[in-house]
Amino acid sequence: MGLFLTRREALGGATAALLLASCGGGDPPPSTGPRPGSGAALLGSLLALEHAVVAAYATCEEVLSGDALRNTRAIAEQEREHVTRLQELIRDLGGDPPSGRSADEYARTFPRLREPGDALAFAEDLEQRQVRAYLEALAELPDLRLRSAAAGIGAEEGAQLAAVRVLQGLPAAQGPFVTGAL
Amino acid sequence: MAGGSDVDVLEDLLALENRLISAYEAALRRDAIDVALGELLRNHEREHARAIEEALRHAGRRSPRASVPAPELTAALRSHESFARYALHLEAEALGSYSEAAAGIRNPRLRQPLGSIMACEAAHEVALREALGERSLVD
Repeated sequence: MGLFLTRREALGGATAALLLASCGGGDPPPSTGPRPGSGAALLGSLLALEHAVVAAYATCEEVLSGDALRNTRAIAEQEREHVTRLQELIRDLGGDPPSGRSADEYARTFPRLREPGDALAFAEDLEQRQVRAYLEALAELPDLRLRSAAAGIGAEEGAQLAAVRVLQGLPAAQGPFVTGAL
Repeated sequence: MAGGSDVDVLEDLLALENRLISAYEAALRRDAIDVALGELLRNHEREHARAIEEALRHAGRRSPRASVPAPELTAALRSHESFARYALHLEAEALGSYSEAAAGIRNPRLRQPLGSIMACEAAHEVALREALGERSLVD
């Protein structure tokens, strides 16, 4: 059984990759702080993505209402909790968590969202990227405590991805293996 | 599950998958779940079980464990709502177990695939909340 990606996932990955490139994930690591291989740099990349996603949900909320707005607000609140958790983990490793960029800077990288469908499709793309990022982190983070944190956040990202799919009238789970296969 | 060998971890996950498959099959037989949803969730769990069995073959599986139907399942089959709540409980247990396994399993090549199943179980919880008519899809 191999890895599979739908065209939509591939397009979403491209959108989110553009976003990730713009959110600071590619910035060089600081010259002082945590030791190389501690996982701090990887956590910093996850945090940069979370900052961007929080900003993205604020933009999505401008065109949403009703159940979609209520649920995306709940998701955005979880994303802010992820930011806090990642900041704590990076500080525990002796690192300096990257701060987010301004709302204007993020907004320049976002697609134009004219209607609820645009916002939910954008949110789905972002959640796909986040699930994939946390699953990749599971394979790369060096110690159990960090992997446990990544798994816990990744599980929430999986639920968020499912929720934005349901809000679009899609099945919650698109397949038995989200973003990959055993 | 913590502290066990990879085989222990995978066998625990397989036992959980078999409980989920049995539950969805029973619910489909007793009309305790929407057919499309029940078949989708059952088929996903079958795929998960197949993948875990494959991983166990590589890891050196011992003899299969016997499983006993949970007494709570019988009571849960009375209605769509009671079964959805029961299944939600089982899926939450599976989600927690996969989260723990994906972080803790010693073979690093298994962490990402187990995380992939974990994310699917999270989606199953959302599907069951939707079936229950809950307006909040995430916790």
